[in-house]
Amino acid sequence: MTKTFTPARPIWCAGCGDFGVQQALENAMKNLGIEPHETVVVAGIGCSGSLQNNVRCYGYHALHGRVLPTVTGAKLANTDLTVIGVGGDGDGYAIGGGHLMHTLKRNPSVTYIVMNNGTYGLTKGQASPTSPNGYGENIEEDLDPILLGMSIPGSTFLARGYTGQPAQLLELTTAALEHAENGRGFAFLEVLSPCVTYNDTYREWRTDVYDVEQDPDYDASDKVAAFTRLMALRDQGRLPIGLLYRGERPALEEAALNHDFPPLALQDIDPSKLMDKYQQALESFMR
Amino acid sequence: MSAENTQPDLEDLNVIVSGQGGDGSLTVVNLLASVLRQNGMSVYTERDVLSRIKGGITAATLRAFSGERFTIGNHIDLLVAFDIDAVPKNRRQLNKNSIVLYDNSGGSLPDGILGDEIRAFGAPLSRQAVKTFRRDIYKNSISFGLIGRILGLPDDTMRVSFESRFKRMGPQIMKYNLDALTVGLGLADELGFVAGKGLYRIQEIERKPHMLITGNEAMAFGFSVAGGRFYAGYPITPSTDVMDWLIKWSPKFGGVVRQAEDELSAINMAIGSALTGTRTMVATCGPGLSLMQEGIGQLGMGEIPLVIVDAQRGGPSTGMPTKPEQSDLNLLVFGGHGDFPRIVLAPGNPEDCFYLTVDACNLSQRYQCPVFIASDQALSQNTATIDPLDLERVVIDQGKRLDADDVSKLDTYKRYLFTEDGVSPYTIPGTPDGMSLVTGNEHDEFGLVSTDPVNRVRMVDKRQMKMKTMLPELPRAGRFGDLESKIGIIGIGMTFGVILEALDTLADRGIDAQYFQPRTLWPMLDETIEFINGCDVVYVVDLNAEGQLAGLFVREGADASRIRKLLHYDGTPIRSDAVVEFVVNDQTQALGAEEVA
Repeated sequence: MTKTFTPARPIWCAGCGDFGVQQALENAMKNLGIEPHETVVVAGIGCSGSLQNNVRCYGYHALHGRVLPTVTGAKLANTDLTVIGVGGDGDGYAIGGGHLMHTLKRNPSVTYIVMNNGTYGLTKGQASPTSPNGYGENIEEDLDPILLGMSIPGSTFLARGYTGQPAQLLELTTAALEHAENGRGFAFLEVLSPCVTYNDTYREWRTDVYDVEQDPDYDASDKVAAFTRLMALRDQGRLPIGLLYRGERPALEEAALNHDFPPLALQDIDPSKLMDKYQQALESFMR
Repeated sequence: MSAENTQPDLEDLNVIVSGQGGDGSLTVVNLLASVLRQNGMSVYTERDVLSRIKGGITAATLRAFSGERFTIGNHIDLLVAFDIDAVPKNRRQLNKNSIVLYDNSGGSLPDGILGDEIRAFGAPLSRQAVKTFRRDIYKNSISFGLIGRILGLPDDTMRVSFESRFKRMGPQIMKYNLDALTVGLGLADELGFVAGKGLYRIQEIERKPHMLITGNEAMAFGFSVAGGRFYAGYPITPSTDVMDWLIKWSPKFGGVVRQAEDELSAINMAIGSALTGTRTMVATCGPGLSLMQEGIGQLGMGEIPLVIVDAQRGGPSTGMPTKPEQSDLNLLVFGGHGDFPRIVLAPGNPEDCFYLTVDACNLSQRYQCPVFIASDQALSQNTATIDPLDLERVVIDQGKRLDADDVSKLDTYKRYLFTEDGVSPYTIPGTPDGMSLVTGNEHDEFGLVSTDPVNRVRMVDKRQMKMKTMLPELPRAGRFGDLESKIGIIGIGMTFGVILEALDTLADRGIDAQYFQPRTLWPMLDETIEFINGCDVVYVVDLNAEGQLAGLFVREGADASRIRKLLHYDGTPIRSDAVVEFVVNDQTQALGAEEVA
């Protein structure tokens, strides 16, 4: 067997939530039988943006905030691939925040896992979009990307996990990967993943999380009821976890691609293969 | 008009049709172009529009030429003005042989606007349109009857061209337009423009097969034939036609186009696609290119292939979105932080646009780096007739790409393997045992993050080595004119056709010069510097205020004392008389100085 890179040892601090996210991802991939060589992990910038170095598959380290356009392009170009984006809350909600709503709207069949620690760990603890008002110097209200996702008609999979509850996290990660694998669209999984050095929230989050899967009245397919409930929980200072919303919308690649052809990346592009069509285009300029 | 029977053959005709935006000036020019194309002329059309949907004075210009010209001429033979304001605006392009046809529905042309020599004719185009059809827009079809008679087009030819043009729009619209043409012919009779007594004798020559195409279309087409399958873009004038063409055609070739939310998204979608081995392109212009800069550095560091079209427009900032300029050259060559290899190609006409885009696709994968195509608004958007492109010439070369078999024969696969030529073999995702890490961090051969100083220097040098390795393969310059002459002219993009015409005029005036058209701007080829240093004087037609093109030459070893910069940045397309005048003045001064010495 040909030797390639040896997965790196994580650079994270002992106790960092990101270890749990990586473990859940690796186990979910294994459980679903997803082949490493058919998988691309695209990572953002920040502590979480080193995850791709630690797992055995194709890895790409994107520009800060640009995980989502990158995974969208990769998936459209080769629908045979399992494409997984990973990053942090600063990467995904601040510098890359604009892309989140457009990716929810587009609904490409990719998985996106945001390791939300409510801070900028790598640059030593500045407030992030999910830092609560009063965290450090922060005077702004925090952002709830799940609620943003609920407001976008194209959303099909919105979930939140917590690294303190690894069994559920594995289930959610598996469900997210399955959603994308089955061509149902964009699987957005936010994981509460504490930063032990700059924002150690294990204790608060253990009591703040509210597992909707334990709530028999919560219906993840009823958007209006779910939204109302999530808003109410937020007002109570709770952090809803579990599969929070699931909808049905055509996936981007289904709508965008010409399915008479193989995936773009796998096409034989020798001009002779399509010469009659190229000739037709040429003739359109001769009229 | 005098009714002489000795009309000259039509050899060179320049017509400008101008009015308020939405008046249909472009329709008239396109109709005229299609008639003259069928009569054996090559045509070149130019649009002068404003950054608004309707209103303001806009213009469409046509040149019909018996040979080949990739520029509008220096003088307008016929100005058609749907709005009186269009007359003074275009005054400087008229000479004593020019004819002005204007819509006098709102009153006659004020005295003194044109002087005594230029013949002007008023016709109530708009009034007739509203009276007969209750729609102002029919004035352009009415005007065509007058234009055709003035030029000498047979009435039947006009009718046939209307039939083929309006066939697709249904019988009702066709009828109205043919009726409008008849109204126009009636107005022509009233003004004394009689059938068969026009300005020119227009021969019916069977024209050999040819294409009418813009630079943007040619680049989009070239990308497709070269196997380009993914295009991401954000609408921005004057590059948007690339996306428009691909939206229409790419799905037929199995490709896809995505309109992104901004240029940051566009270039990163493109990167995602390029990582899978798919041939990928983006097109933009100044503001979009500025936004893409971080992604361009990523292409350099990650060694990711991508073709980037820059249809340059007036800058800086929002600048003049619809006006041609070549002021992104420094950004193309030096943009982005850090050191990384890149290629900048510079086509000069639509044919060149096609073949250089094919080259760009191949080079981007062979050297795993960004390849820019430096176009400009005029090259991108003006239409020109060219001989049919030779699709058989297109050859695909994906460089050192490893498939599963290749990988299985390796002991170790390293994405960023150190090689003598600086180019590392690559796999695409999906290849068993070909797993790689692609990153914008400095990295070791496997793609793992590294700040080791020894590795750092080797990696930088490896990437830079590609710039040397690629040199023999980069597109060579076009050479025109008197190749023995010590008087050189250099220009890129839209100046190609302008300089070619200037060469002819200069030769007529006793100055034999040669035109060197660099088709690779970066890395700078030795041939360019050798050309400059081998001439006594080189005129660089530089469509910006700072002399960016000349600056590149001097930086790379050209003798600055030989260079004269013709700087043009007023937003108008430069014409050949500006080049001729510049060269003649300089040559006259030089002669004078010699005589004094």
